Amino acid sequence: MAEAEMETLVPALSITGASCQGCAKKIRAALEPLTGSTDRVEVDLENQTVALPADTDLADAAQRVTDAGYPAEPLWQPALSVSGATCQGCARKIRNALEPLTGAPERTHVDLEKQTILLMPGIDRNDAAERVTEAGYPARPLNDEEPVEPEQPEQETNRTHKTPEHDETPEADLPAPASNDDQVQLSVTGATCASCVATIEKALMSVKGVTGAHMNLADNTATATGDADPDALVQAVESAGYGASVIEDPDAADEQKQAQDRKQYRDMMIKMAVSLGLGIGLMAYGMGFGSMMISDANQLTWINLGILTFAVMVVTGGHFYVGAAKAFRHHNANMDTLIALGTGTAWLYSMVVSLFPDVFPDMARHVYFEASAMIIGLINLGQALELRAKGKTSEAVRRLLDLRAKTARVIRDGEEQDIPVEQVRKGDQIRVRPGEKLPVDGIIVDGSTRIDESMLTGEPMPVNKASGDEVSAGTLNTHGSIVYEATRVGSETALAQIIRLVKKAQGSKPAIGRLADRISAVFVPSVMLIAVVTALAWFNFGPDPRVVHMMVAATTVLIIACPCALGLATPMSVIVGVGKAAEYGALIRQGDALQTAGKLDLVILDKTGTITEGHPAVTHVHAAEGDQAELLALAAGLEQHSEHPLAEAILERAKSDGAAKRSVTGFEALNGKGVQGELDGEPLRLGNRRWLEGVGIDLSDLDSAARTITDEAGTPLFLSRGNRALGVIGVADAIKQDSEAAIRRLHDAGIRVMMVTGDVQATAEAIARKAGIDDIRAEVLPEDKAAIVEEMRRKGHTVAMVGDGINDAPALAAADVGFAIGTGTDVAIESAAITLMRGSLHGVADAIQISRATVRNIHQNLFGAFIYNTLGIPIAAGVLYPVWGVLMSPILAGAAMSLSSVTVVTNANRLRLFKPRHESETQEGN
Amino acid sequence: MTTVLVNLAGLVLMGAIVWWFWLSESGDAGTQHDHH
Repeated sequence: MAEAEMETLVPALSITGASCQGCAKKIRAALEPLTGSTDRVEVDLENQTVALPADTDLADAAQRVTDAGYPAEPLWQPALSVSGATCQGCARKIRNALEPLTGAPERTHVDLEKQTILLMPGIDRNDAAERVTEAGYPARPLNDEEPVEPEQPEQETNRTHKTPEHDETPEADLPAPASNDDQVQLSVTGATCASCVATIEKALMSVKGVTGAHMNLADNTATATGDADPDALVQAVESAGYGASVIEDPDAADEQKQAQDRKQYRDMMIKMAVSLGLGIGLMAYGMGFGSMMISDANQLTWINLGILTFAVMVVTGGHFYVGAAKAFRHHNANMDTLIALGTGTAWLYSMVVSLFPDVFPDMARHVYFEASAMIIGLINLGQALELRAKGKTSEAVRRLLDLRAKTARVIRDGEEQDIPVEQVRKGDQIRVRPGEKLPVDGIIVDGSTRIDESMLTGEPMPVNKASGDEVSAGTLNTHGSIVYEATRVGSETALAQIIRLVKKAQGSKPAIGRLADRISAVFVPSVMLIAVVTALAWFNFGPDPRVVHMMVAATTVLIIACPCALGLATPMSVIVGVGKAAEYGALIRQGDALQTAGKLDLVILDKTGTITEGHPAVTHVHAAEGDQAELLALAAGLEQHSEHPLAEAILERAKSDGAAKRSVTGFEALNGKGVQGELDGEPLRLGNRRWLEGVGIDLSDLDSAARTITDEAGTPLFLSRGNRALGVIGVADAIKQDSEAAIRRLHDAGIRVMMVTGDVQATAEAIARKAGIDDIRAEVLPEDKAAIVEEMRRKGHTVAMVGDGINDAPALAAADVGFAIGTGTDVAIESAAITLMRGSLHGVADAIQISRATVRNIHQNLFGAFIYNTLGIPIAAGVLYPVWGVLMSPILAGAAMSLSSVTVVTNANRLRLFKPRHESETQEGN
Repeated sequence: MTTVLVNLAGLVLMGAIVWWFWLSESGDAGTQHDHH
């Protein structure tokens, strides 16, 4: 109680209708469950406000008071949007920062979930935003009408507010960009490690109008969402210590980036040659002609060489020092910091020794200019190699970009003319000749052909297309000449959407990567502490010359501990993994899906259209007298008058078998029975058993054939002419040819497979038996599928739901990973975490195998990076010295550091060679 | 005397690192992680 009395209660709700102490008592009672005691509620009847403890949930409190009969509203308004506030400690800092404005820390409410700061009315929001930003949490004022959750779009009325995505893609601590349309993309240079990523994202978030920021280290682009001035964004990144330029045309950006990379590679190789050349020269001079120990004879030479080294360090490694200085100003430490400190220490020590040798004991008069020069050379070499390897990882996107046609042959006013693809408009008629790529999406209006869609769907066989069929940009016309009408052009085409999706997914980070980021953010300052401790240990306990050992060990620790491998470990593998999946027709939307897909242990399949073809087809034709073609010709003759889906199946089969339809007169469809007509004066009937037996036809000869059909979940249709039974045709929603093999692959991967369907139990069982499914849920309504997914998740399974993107959307969303399956490019590619462009279940197995391989690759990378640091730092600090008398040289540390990044990038590239195991290989493997 | 001075300098340096990167108000790494 004493505690409650001491606690400051702040006015939090405005109420209406409270007129007496009785009302006050009711309000206190209503709020007691929230505050824990009625003493922690103060009702001010005069001002019609309620004061509550600072940590009370105001929305909940207002609701409770309103429910008690006194309409209430939170008095505090969401005033600032903030980023980076992750815990109560951050909230405390923010409250303290705003104390001069609010009068008491309790008068600030920080909503960590919504990343919003609520303030009392009358407080200057701009001032408050400035103070919070100064406290280290980029903040900006909110307008009253701005919605708070989950992201604050800008106030501009003409802006289209897109659905924010950061609820589903938890990107680090900062909200992810919302949509492609409101984004500014920057090409960033100089970012080398995870600490840089955090710094750049924070810098972008601090720009007015930015609602989301995301830096992708793997392709060196940053994306800012919101209504910010692009120049301000560039300036923010530059002031944080990095280079930036706006990517005006995303299409041209790729080429621009390649050119930039080539130039950067060349520059780095030149710098490497200069600094390494000097380093090797100094070493040769020191060891061959002169001495690395300062004497009266060589003092002046070493002073001059020291100045030369300084010049080379500035020219070839200047970017490290500038980067380190800028990071330092922002209370940040990154890879540049370690390099700058390491090489700087070595140079400074050597220079002091050269200038004042007498200050040092004889044994300590050693210079290390060559170390500084060589470390910079080696790191430049490492970065150049890394740059080259990075270029290879984004091959998948480049391959997709290459699919785009540059020109289109458009028929306008009866004339054919080649125009740039950008000028093609919806409704244009386009001619495509054999061997040409299709420039835009559309519908064929004339001609027929076979189209190779493998680049989009992973489906290796060219697909037959004729008038009325949809075709997609980027696919290849392999056979005939067609004319088609453009329906989607420019950025609307399926290809453009795929490219966008793949790029975005490649930039997203799975949870495991965010962990690495968090570790590396504290890593660098920790290494600096370790370096000081190492130096002191050598100084106090080491052998003579202590000063030399102290300097060498500290420098080596700083150089070897660079976290660049850690920063690259995840994004590199994600880029390759997402690209690889796209190659197999599986579009992964986010890095998280990639990670979760690797952990799946239960796959729930929708039946229709997923396991089966999705439309009825003739599966059996059994003629009592052996003439199948005649049976089909008669059945087709009858069914050509019907519009029933079963009729379509029979007509299609007759057509593909080349059975000519017989001419039937007097057609009649009998509901629930079948169809009948007349042929040469005899009645011809096609329908179910009950009807035909009812009219006295003996079907006993067809019993076994009919049983086979029903056993396989088909519907038997009996055909009779006069009183004779001619045969039975089985129609079923046939299982896709490769469903069984794909399900076997899932089993081989240790995954259980379940089917949900609206069909009756018997049909479901028949399908399950045939396809090798472990478990079924039959007679399920579409809306109940999500509940089944939930149920299986509650039982502890990591569940994938595979279904079509439209009907199964709730179930797809409920699953840990939703796979939308579609044939060709007609599927809505935004509807699931993973979209399969090809209608085959092999896509699920492929995606899972690729995900597992990618996660394995990330683990290897992280393990490698961590092991390298955990072993490297103690060795650099000299733990081997007492045993073997070995102290690592800083030059070796520089080489090891470069090697670690190159190793990580190379290992990620290894993933490019990964091939999901298919049926034949699986069997061989067994 | 030198020993004392060097050790003292080392300790001051460590304190400065901790202060600058973790405790001072606008520390990026610090603000996000000092309390975790």
